[in-house]
Amino acid sequence: MKTFLPIWLCLVIAVATASAYAQKNEPPLDSLKRQIQILQQQMKELKDKTSAASMNANSPQEAVSTETVQKSIKKLEEEIQELSDKVSSVSEAQKQSRPNAFNPSIGVVGEVVTSYRTKGMAETGSDRPGGIDVNARSVELNVAASIDPFAKGYAVINAAADPVTGEASMGIEEAALQTTTLPWNLELKAGRFFGEFGRLGYIHDHELPFVNRPLVLDQYIGGESRSDGFQVNWLVPLPHYVSLTAGAGDGFGGDIPPSNPGDIRSFDKLTYWGRLSTYFDLSPDWQAELGASGLLNPATEDRGGVLVQPDGSTLTEKARRWAGADFSLKWVPLRNNQFQSLTWGSEVLYSDNDYRDSVSDALNPADATVGALGLYSYLTYKFSREWSAGFLFEWAENNQNAQDRTTKLSPYITWALSHWNQLRLQYTHTESNHVLGLASDDAVYMQWSWIIGSHSHGWQQR
Amino acid sequence: MKMKLFQLKIIIMVFAALAAWTLPVYAAKVRIVTTLTDLADFAREIGKDHVDVHSLATGIEDTHGVPMKPSFVPILNRADLVILVGFDCEHAFLPALLEASKNPGIQVGHPGYVDCAKNIVPLDVPSTTDHSGGDVHPYGNPHYMLDPVLAKTAVGEICDALVAFDPKDQAEFVHNRDEYLARLDTKIAEWKEKMKPLKGLQFVSYHEHWPYFADRFGLRYVGTIELKPGIDPTPRHIEELILMMKADHVPVVVREPQFPEKVPKLIAEKTGATVITLPIMPGGASKTDTYVEMMDYIINAFQSGAKTR
Repeated sequence: MKTFLPIWLCLVIAVATASAYAQKNEPPLDSLKRQIQILQQQMKELKDKTSAASMNANSPQEAVSTETVQKSIKKLEEEIQELSDKVSSVSEAQKQSRPNAFNPSIGVVGEVVTSYRTKGMAETGSDRPGGIDVNARSVELNVAASIDPFAKGYAVINAAADPVTGEASMGIEEAALQTTTLPWNLELKAGRFFGEFGRLGYIHDHELPFVNRPLVLDQYIGGESRSDGFQVNWLVPLPHYVSLTAGAGDGFGGDIPPSNPGDIRSFDKLTYWGRLSTYFDLSPDWQAELGASGLLNPATEDRGGVLVQPDGSTLTEKARRWAGADFSLKWVPLRNNQFQSLTWGSEVLYSDNDYRDSVSDALNPADATVGALGLYSYLTYKFSREWSAGFLFEWAENNQNAQDRTTKLSPYITWALSHWNQLRLQYTHTESNHVLGLASDDAVYMQWSWIIGSHSHGWQQR
Repeated sequence: MKMKLFQLKIIIMVFAALAAWTLPVYAAKVRIVTTLTDLADFAREIGKDHVDVHSLATGIEDTHGVPMKPSFVPILNRADLVILVGFDCEHAFLPALLEASKNPGIQVGHPGYVDCAKNIVPLDVPSTTDHSGGDVHPYGNPHYMLDPVLAKTAVGEICDALVAFDPKDQAEFVHNRDEYLARLDTKIAEWKEKMKPLKGLQFVSYHEHWPYFADRFGLRYVGTIELKPGIDPTPRHIEELILMMKADHVPVVVREPQFPEKVPKLIAEKTGATVITLPIMPGGASKTDTYVEMMDYIINAFQSGAKTR
């Protein structure tokens, strides 16, 4: 029996050790589960020891004792298993009875942009005043959850201050469902969403690497690439990454609904867009991504309303055709990419819209096609977990009057205290060639953005 | 007519070339993608010739910071199983990659989604998931793979998943698992023996990687250089950590190679502690290609670090 004294001692110690864990500040159920796991492990070790002892038994008495200990261990094992099952069922029951179990994940993103501009609204054509300006640019409520085993849904509800009255107005920025189980590498999105066109067109303002949306996207697209429609994405079944997207929707970007939708609308009133993108690993640390996009709206009559020009003339858009190419080169060192990285991103857009011009002759307006080009290129260097700095270059021809050209130069520095709290300081010099009478100006921006609640690291923010 | 025949030949050749390019990925092996290299090592040990294993991490990355490369997407698209650590360890890259992969079989809740944490009881489960606690892991600390006894649970999960996916090779998978676990058991006994003299050794680390390891080997894990998970230390925090380490005579600072050297070095200089740089997954340091080699490295480094004192 002496042989088995250490084993009984181990048993006592096992129970004592398990109890010691319970004294930590763990939730009671987790504490219980942990105790059980420890007991199970130690029981297994004891079992192994007794098996070894049984094989080496020198006398029939020792063999009988071994058998008795083994029986006791087996009984204890059964009791522990029973306890484990009980704890698991309580744990499951708790989960099931949570009243908020089916609530979607919820997050709120807020953004305040404080700026000082040397010129006023009249001179710059901006919707923000000159001088000091504190702009609570947007507050976004993000909700997302699985709809069923076949799709997920998400919504982004945005509240922004009206530039004139200052009153906050709410709007549905996105509300869409996205399939998750379609065959043949397909994914369908439907509802209101940001259509995949270009590189930063479908990125929310607060996720941009600088304070303001690049001029070419702001002017040609009219902000984010929002559309009410459908979009299909196809991951081409090749060992190399190639993604193809095609979409169709009612309106795109800053469009407003047509003032005269008509009795019967034809398909040429919709907007159609597509994007092809691919990617190359240049080395384990260097990544390159290329994309090409196209958009067509054959009949945009009345969409966007009457476009009043700074010289008082008006245009009405008749058709919209855009083409774009984008490129990014990234250095993302595998070992310490949370502390260092470099991104060079560029995008070129060509707009070839048809307009009805009321200026030449108000009674006999003429149709004109305006071909305009715009681009931006930026370089951001992250030099610590919290700090990054960069430079943005922008150049764009006005897509309603290609003679009007604007150049912008913006150095910026970002201090990300955490994933959810970020400050950015940016200086922007805007140089206009004054064709439409707009003035050059200088501005300093301080952007403070924050997130509370759920946040996800989405594919588009890679 | 000749011209048409020639065109037809060209078309057939192009299709044949495309098929040859894509065919190898449809080979008969079970295609496994693991998030980290320790899981890849286990999958290879169990699956041997029946599996084709690809790890998203190479070993030198931070476990939470594997870059989301689009080149991972076609690999995941063709995967039969995706094996992960779980407890939200991979939250910064895996959910988005899985969505982009358009592979329904490996999405959460499907048999191809193998969460190795499902039978692990976590440590440090936060009582609240408010971000005032930093980048908290709501399900508890996910770094259980640094405890070789808990890593055995992951080995079991991988074997179960392989058996479920490919039942005809069950006997071989189970045999490989048992053989590997036996080898691991021998090593665990050896590691425990080596660590016995260090029982009670106090240490701090950059990130909260080591609570399971400390529990297993009887060490005392007394703090982190990070203010909170994912949050850089403030000067005040460093000062307080130094004061605590001096008062409690903490002799070892663990630096994971993904984190900067400067602060651990400064703390060591101020406190007289020794800095040891430890991998957190296989491949994170030289000659740590397998899990066993990595654990050998860690145990030896702790021994040398304690001797330096």
